[in-house]
Amino acid sequence: MKLLQENRISYNTDENYAMIFNIERFSTEDGPGIRTTVFFKGCPLKCPWCHNPESIDRNPQLVWYSVRCIATMDCIKACKENALQLTPEGMYIDRIKCTACGDCVEACPSGALELIGEYKSVEEIFDEVMRDNSFYKNSEGGVTFGGGEPLLQYYPLTRLAMMFKEAGVHTALDTTAFTAKKILNMVLPYIDLVLLDLKQMDPELHIKYTGVPNKTILENAKYISQVHKKKIWVRTPVIPGYTDQDENIEAVAKFIKENLPTCERYDLLAFNNTCKDKYDRLGIKFELADTPLMRRGRMQQLLDLAVRKGIPTTYWTGTVRD
Amino acid sequence: MSKESATVRIWKPSEKLPPRIKKLRDEYFSFYDRDYFRNEVRAYTTGMPGDPVWSPHNWGVVPELFPFMKGMFDALRALAEEVKVPDDFWKHTIAYRRGLFFKIVLEKYLPVKILEQELIVGSYFNTALSKVLRPDEQKEWYKREFRWYKKLEFLNDVGIGNTGAIPGHIIPNYPKVLKMGMKGIVEYIESEIEKETDKEKIEFLQSMILSLESAKMLSERYSWEARKLAQEEKDPQRKEELEEIARITAKVPWEPAETFWEALQSIWITHMLVMAAESYPGAGLSHGRFDQYMYPYYKKDIEEGRITKEFARELLMAYWIKHNYVYDYQGRVGQNQGINSGFGQLMTLSGKGPNGEDMTNELTWLIFDVIEDMNLLEPKPNIRVHKNTPEPVLKRITSMVTKTQGSPFLINFDEQAIKGLLWQGMPEEEVWDYAPVGCLENTFQGKDRSGTVDVNINLLKAIELTLFNGRDIRTGKRIGLKTGDPRKFKTFEEFKQAFVKQLKYIIDKLLELAMEADAIRAKFEPIPYLSAIVDGCIEKRKDVTAGGPVYNFITVEGIGLANTADSLTAAKKLVFEEKKISMDELLYHIQNNFEGREGEKIRQILINKAPKYGNDNDEADAMARFVSQLWTKYVFTKKSPTTGRRFRGGYLSWNYWIAYAPAVSATPDGRRRGTFLANAIGPIDGMAKKGPTAEALSVGKLGLETAPNGDSHTMNFSPAMLRDEEHVEKMANFLRTYNEKGGTALQINIIDADTLREAQKHPEDYQNLLVRITGYNAYFVMLGKEMQDEIIARESHKL
Repeated sequence: MKLLQENRISYNTDENYAMIFNIERFSTEDGPGIRTTVFFKGCPLKCPWCHNPESIDRNPQLVWYSVRCIATMDCIKACKENALQLTPEGMYIDRIKCTACGDCVEACPSGALELIGEYKSVEEIFDEVMRDNSFYKNSEGGVTFGGGEPLLQYYPLTRLAMMFKEAGVHTALDTTAFTAKKILNMVLPYIDLVLLDLKQMDPELHIKYTGVPNKTILENAKYISQVHKKKIWVRTPVIPGYTDQDENIEAVAKFIKENLPTCERYDLLAFNNTCKDKYDRLGIKFELADTPLMRRGRMQQLLDLAVRKGIPTTYWTGTVRD
Repeated sequence: MSKESATVRIWKPSEKLPPRIKKLRDEYFSFYDRDYFRNEVRAYTTGMPGDPVWSPHNWGVVPELFPFMKGMFDALRALAEEVKVPDDFWKHTIAYRRGLFFKIVLEKYLPVKILEQELIVGSYFNTALSKVLRPDEQKEWYKREFRWYKKLEFLNDVGIGNTGAIPGHIIPNYPKVLKMGMKGIVEYIESEIEKETDKEKIEFLQSMILSLESAKMLSERYSWEARKLAQEEKDPQRKEELEEIARITAKVPWEPAETFWEALQSIWITHMLVMAAESYPGAGLSHGRFDQYMYPYYKKDIEEGRITKEFARELLMAYWIKHNYVYDYQGRVGQNQGINSGFGQLMTLSGKGPNGEDMTNELTWLIFDVIEDMNLLEPKPNIRVHKNTPEPVLKRITSMVTKTQGSPFLINFDEQAIKGLLWQGMPEEEVWDYAPVGCLENTFQGKDRSGTVDVNINLLKAIELTLFNGRDIRTGKRIGLKTGDPRKFKTFEEFKQAFVKQLKYIIDKLLELAMEADAIRAKFEPIPYLSAIVDGCIEKRKDVTAGGPVYNFITVEGIGLANTADSLTAAKKLVFEEKKISMDELLYHIQNNFEGREGEKIRQILINKAPKYGNDNDEADAMARFVSQLWTKYVFTKKSPTTGRRFRGGYLSWNYWIAYAPAVSATPDGRRRGTFLANAIGPIDGMAKKGPTAEALSVGKLGLETAPNGDSHTMNFSPAMLRDEEHVEKMANFLRTYNEKGGTALQINIIDADTLREAQKHPEDYQNLLVRITGYNAYFVMLGKEMQDEIIARESHKL
């Protein structure tokens, strides 16, 4: 893969291959109708609540599923780097030695090892997504580019978006909008809908939680709406203690009202803690492991706030407690 | 990506049921408290020594009954009430005797009962009628029936399959009864008698007249009863109702029906007497396109102000409850693996017209409400969806699926279903008017006996026989062909050819038995009453059991398709192509049921390193298509010689995918002996990992037109998937695409595993929880533990 270092961010500039960690068919939560979501690996933000932790690192990662392991040791024999060790606590993966070559995955009879992330050619991705074309047609669905941050791979992304546009498939881009305007200029002509994440309106808290300033994000949001005039669905992950303040939701709603004339709806996504296992498998600490779920009533309150701030098409979804 | 875990609100009867309906519904459910009325089986004999009143071939496809077969046979015979027959009775043909016997029973023996506040009457219909055989006939019947039964037990024990000559599973021509009245049919038969010279044929025609007169007689007895009750009644409103019931039952089904109430009453008596005549309560005896032929009566009554919509709803509800009394047949049998829920008096709703237009009408919409409000097992609705189904109808169907956990009905897809019926040779100009029976078995209305559950072949057994050169490894017996030691096969092609031979061989074995059951029934057990209301029988002078209807088939239902296909794919890829596993190893571990560490390793390779059907994977799906096309086309070349009925394929697989699990060795799809087979055309549990769209496309690739009976496909969705209007719409559009690309019939379960586990722990709180089994629904808490566990496992693999 060709890599481009720019603003301390690595871009994938190989237009023929994208680093993908999942292609999810019958995706019903990422835009209108029945869709397929193509998940791009790699993200410039580091949100501690991320429910797709496997999307953050731009490189393939090896994971081990204890329930599937039948301890044949075939993986250990297959590993040329000696990166694997079966301990009483489970499989130890030496992530420095591991080159993610996939030999152990091939050797494992029971599917206990899995390589998350693989370079797929744009043609291969296109063909797989097009299999459900008849479902998109009847439901006014289509393809969603998600992640991670798909714009980090804007070369293959642009090609894919062009191919789908040409095939008459509705395209949605799920993005942090932490990117450069020239990248937006390149991709957006082939995008029908932008699913835009606005997480925290307070600049300092935003840097603190995500590692990047929200100034660029908000600028880009305006740019997408006012210059490119793209339809937008704004989404805010509602994370207890991080983004669930009244002021934050009000500020997002206010921002939408004042700056995003093309915004069609605003979704409040309740914090989800079912990703705990994923963190464990990746050997990453999940800081929010013990954070309780949002309360149903609180989600409704926040929704009411946003509606009162002038966004009548606000919805909330997700797992909550009563 | 986040999904709301909606707590499932179990479907319950509406709070707004009219008080009368609530009373009648509760009364039905109070089996043990109803000392004044239970519709349990009543046996009637001629008193002839040895007189059988029960036929094993009627129950040949219910293997769980086999251990009780002899007991039931003897018990019913012992309990049978003797019916006095006239002296010249035995001179007549069997058909005539059966018509006359039926008449005597209905005139003098079968009790009548009108329950308090009922609007539709006709209560006792579960019978075990004498076979009215003379000693010489009896001797032949016993010999052939029990020789047949012995062979059946063998084929069932070794897991090849089962067969019978099963009653029900037909749509009589009820609209004809409504329009002409039975009187009109009798007049027509009389005119045919005048043209006929053959004595036996004249007796056959006369037997039909006797049968129809029996219905008149019984209906009149209800009229007298209603009149009597009316005289005793104090409440003026009820008195008026009883008088109306007396008037109606004196009129229909003999005379044509003119009002909505008359039409419902006419069908109910006609319908329940088919069950009485066949001595077979309910299973598959279906109404056809009820909302179509009933609509003119409804419309006229509403337009002329004869009834209100509310009263029409109440009448329909009263009519609905009646169908559930079939289950009194086994009220005391108790819990069983789902069979106590599987009757299926199917009612077809909506669907397309001759020019592709949608036929949904106001009555259809009213019936949707009735279904949702009643929360009952019977009658079972099957809703026909097609290309031009309007958005509101599709959304109504989807929201009903949501509200009811998906259980109350099955969705039939016109375009795919019709493809099959055309392939089967049905005329193009009639095919739009098809309707399913039982669960999803597509037939024509009023003129077609397709024997839709008569033969059930276990496809997977052919894999075991291929691997072990024709031997059943549990018994060591050679029950298949000698196709050679597979260790000597050089190519997959050789393996495949051996499989083809084994499969055809076991099909032949089973069809031989099906033909014999068909022949015994045709010779000894005509049903003149049913023949009179199925088109073709009068004209051909042939009974409904003997090829009389206009269309005649015997359906062969395939079991274990996905396991069979995935076994072949795994053998091809892992043994012959990639040589990851040797045939020797495979056979060794299959014989050991994949026991031990090495066995488990081989099993995991078989599961994980070869593609599986159900994932829109072209290689795996092509294999499934190959298997499906192979056997369905093969059976279509065969006919039952005595009746001329042609065999045709389908996939219903009832509960056999559980029943045959212990009878098949471990298989190369990674299945151990005892693990349940895949259900009908569905993928193996847990093997479809690409979601519902991929699964639907895999199903679509089978080329299901060669299985024209129709093909059961169950899909499970999490309640969160249907949590709001937006998602209901997505689901509706999923169904629309399924109609274009998928199979012929779909049933949907909307439930999560947690709710089911709760229900298993606290059955008392989940009395109303209905789940789909395979083309039929059942109260979850009434199922056996084994079946419950299976359903929980299925839910856990949710898409």
